[in-house]
Amino acid sequence: MFVSDVPVGASFKVLRVVLDKEVGKRLADMGFTEGTEGAVVRGGFFRGPLQIRLRGYDILIRRCEAAGIEIQPVDTVGASV
Amino acid sequence: MSADYTRPLRIVLAGNPNSGKTTLFNALTGAHHKVGNYPGVTVEKREGTRVHNGQEYRFIDVPGIYSLTAYSIDEMVTRDFLLDEKPDLIVDVIDSGNLERHLYLCLQFQELGIPLIGALNMSDEAESKGILIDEKKLSTMLGIPMAKTVGSKGGGVEEVLDLIARTAAMVESPSSAHNVPDSARYVRYGAEVEDRLRPIEAAIAEDGAFASRFPARWLAVKLVEKDSNALARLEAHPAAARIAAMASDSVAWLEKHYGKDAEIIISEQRYGYIRGAAKESVSIAKRPDFSVTETIDRVIMNRFLALPIFVAVLWGLFQLTFTLGEYPMAWLESLFGWLGGLVEGLTPPGPVSSLLVDGIIGGVGGVFSFVPLIVILFFFLSVLEDIGYLSRAAFATDKLLHSFGLHGQSVFPMMLGFGCSVPAIMAARTLKSPRDRIVTILIIPFMSCGAKLPVYVLLAAAFFPHKAALMVTLVYAIGVALSLVSAWVLKKTTLKGDATPFVMELPPYRAPTLSGLLWHVREKTWMYVKKSGTVILGASVLIWAITSFPAYEPDSERRATWAVSFAEANPNAIDSDIEAFVDAAAAEAALERSFAGRIGKLVEPAFRPLGFDWKIGVATLTGFAAKEVVVSTLGVLYRVGEGESEEGKSLREALREDPSFNPLVAFALMIFTLVIPPCFAALATIKAEIGWKWLGFAFACLLAMGWGLSFAVYQMGSLFAATAA
Repeated sequence: MFVSDVPVGASFKVLRVVLDKEVGKRLADMGFTEGTEGAVVRGGFFRGPLQIRLRGYDILIRRCEAAGIEIQPVDTVGASV
Repeated sequence: MSADYTRPLRIVLAGNPNSGKTTLFNALTGAHHKVGNYPGVTVEKREGTRVHNGQEYRFIDVPGIYSLTAYSIDEMVTRDFLLDEKPDLIVDVIDSGNLERHLYLCLQFQELGIPLIGALNMSDEAESKGILIDEKKLSTMLGIPMAKTVGSKGGGVEEVLDLIARTAAMVESPSSAHNVPDSARYVRYGAEVEDRLRPIEAAIAEDGAFASRFPARWLAVKLVEKDSNALARLEAHPAAARIAAMASDSVAWLEKHYGKDAEIIISEQRYGYIRGAAKESVSIAKRPDFSVTETIDRVIMNRFLALPIFVAVLWGLFQLTFTLGEYPMAWLESLFGWLGGLVEGLTPPGPVSSLLVDGIIGGVGGVFSFVPLIVILFFFLSVLEDIGYLSRAAFATDKLLHSFGLHGQSVFPMMLGFGCSVPAIMAARTLKSPRDRIVTILIIPFMSCGAKLPVYVLLAAAFFPHKAALMVTLVYAIGVALSLVSAWVLKKTTLKGDATPFVMELPPYRAPTLSGLLWHVREKTWMYVKKSGTVILGASVLIWAITSFPAYEPDSERRATWAVSFAEANPNAIDSDIEAFVDAAAAEAALERSFAGRIGKLVEPAFRPLGFDWKIGVATLTGFAAKEVVVSTLGVLYRVGEGESEEGKSLREALREDPSFNPLVAFALMIFTLVIPPCFAALATIKAEIGWKWLGFAFACLLAMGWGLSFAVYQMGSLFAATAA
């Protein structure tokens, strides 16, 4: 499962980033590392960017980047972020 | 603190974007700023000084970055500055409410081996969010001296200065055992990684001269992170090949061992190290509170409302700017008019007086009159920037811009473009991919800058008196549409390539501080003023020269003929009217015979198919100095004379009375003004940012498009009018 599959409002735990080197590294630099918990706050109109909350801050990424972040869903909706 | 060193210390203020760096910089340095450029790039570099206990500190503000693995040009500037300029000390500005990600950068600074201090900024905001940091514990754990600050209120500034003094003193006298700076400690990446790093570090350190330039620890880590810039820097090492081979062996081993990319391993270990330190020194009193920001964003970032709100914000911005800007603009115009009159009275009539009054004061004054407009527009844009709206604007527009091949981050340069292309073109440097950056720069001229507005207003008011506002808005909208279409075409042709990622922090809303706002406004306005002072001064003199020479003075016989013809046409005219007409006719005749007039006549055949006569040709040429000059040139050409508040009105009437002008020509001219290449200053900026090749490309394309579109408008309009009639 990938971040792009997470419904708005649901939480996830990052497994790994499967994107090409530069973006992958940037996402890791921005805190998308294994085990990090995050949540999808909202999505933009017409499949616009996603707002993700992790490590206590918010970040915007496009759905195509989100489709490269493999995750494991977290059951408790709105779990500690 | 030892009193024996008097050398000012060079201190870099670095940190993540949105860490409140600028406000802390202002709090640290007060009003003593100096602005320059980083070598080779047009990124603004600001410096400020502060004397504390007799020691002078020079603070240098560098662009905010997320990581030393540089991603955008801004980040490269910061990295290169830290590596190549070797500052005495780094103050890392950290958002206390966003500790993990900000410490991630801090720990990379630590590896540079430059003495480091952490400013836990916005500590009040963090505490109100329930994040309590034990800075003593944190600094002991990380080996980085830290102080809490509140940049917006000047809180903690003394503590930071004391820390700087203490750290600097330790570095100056490393002999005493307990004085080894704490920041000599580094992140531990775990035994497997450390075992691989150690031999690489040792091999780098073998060459003392090299290791004093590039810290061995930093380079070893970056090599394992496969940083291409680090690899390039390694080339200067005598054993570069051997070290590179060691690094790639280590990378291979680590990737096999961990089953993931080496650069990801480093990131994860670094974040793990931070988690550990934070667990010990940070207590969370309550769950992170996003409520205020979240409540606002529920509306602002609503999937259906985000884009309409963005358009409304932009529209409101213009309304406010132009309504407020009207008054100071009028004051400045009259000030320059008065100055011109004064100089005219003080200098004997002749070419010198004419150069000063018409060339320099008239030309530069015309442009300076727009400073209030630019200041106000940039002020509001800075408000949007500082409260954190720009990321929301990028969120709202990314999908739309992306479908035209642009990037959500292109939106800010494009918005700035409505003010002045020069800072707008520079602002495109935040775009990571060179392709996105080039496309954004190339389409900025379609954003009608503040200087094009008076041209539109004049023509719209003269020929569409009841729909003037609508016509001006239409031209702006056409500009935006052209920019999107051009971007799409560019991305499909010359600048083909994969979509670049969109990864952007969404900061919480923050109240802007006045000092921060004024700083932004000053910075952006300065670019505009500098352009008036340099490029436009030169261009004004040139335009004055081509419109004044060769000099022509009609003989008394000709003047008499004009006077008679005017008197016949206007039987009620009084002497002063006749005299004014004769003077104006003489001015027009002189202009017609000048170089500018001859050039205008020469290029007239090219303008004819657009419905333009030689006067518009001349006005267009002078418009390259600055677009608003088009208006003053037309003023000269239509004999409405110089200055005076009546100019606008009478020029309007003069245009209306000209048989070669009609609403269709006016509209064609508005489109022409919109599309043809921008002023010299903007062209020079394009050249500085992306080089001659793209400048030539932009110039040729804009010229061809401007001509083609105006041609289409005029010819189709004429055809339509003929069929309708």
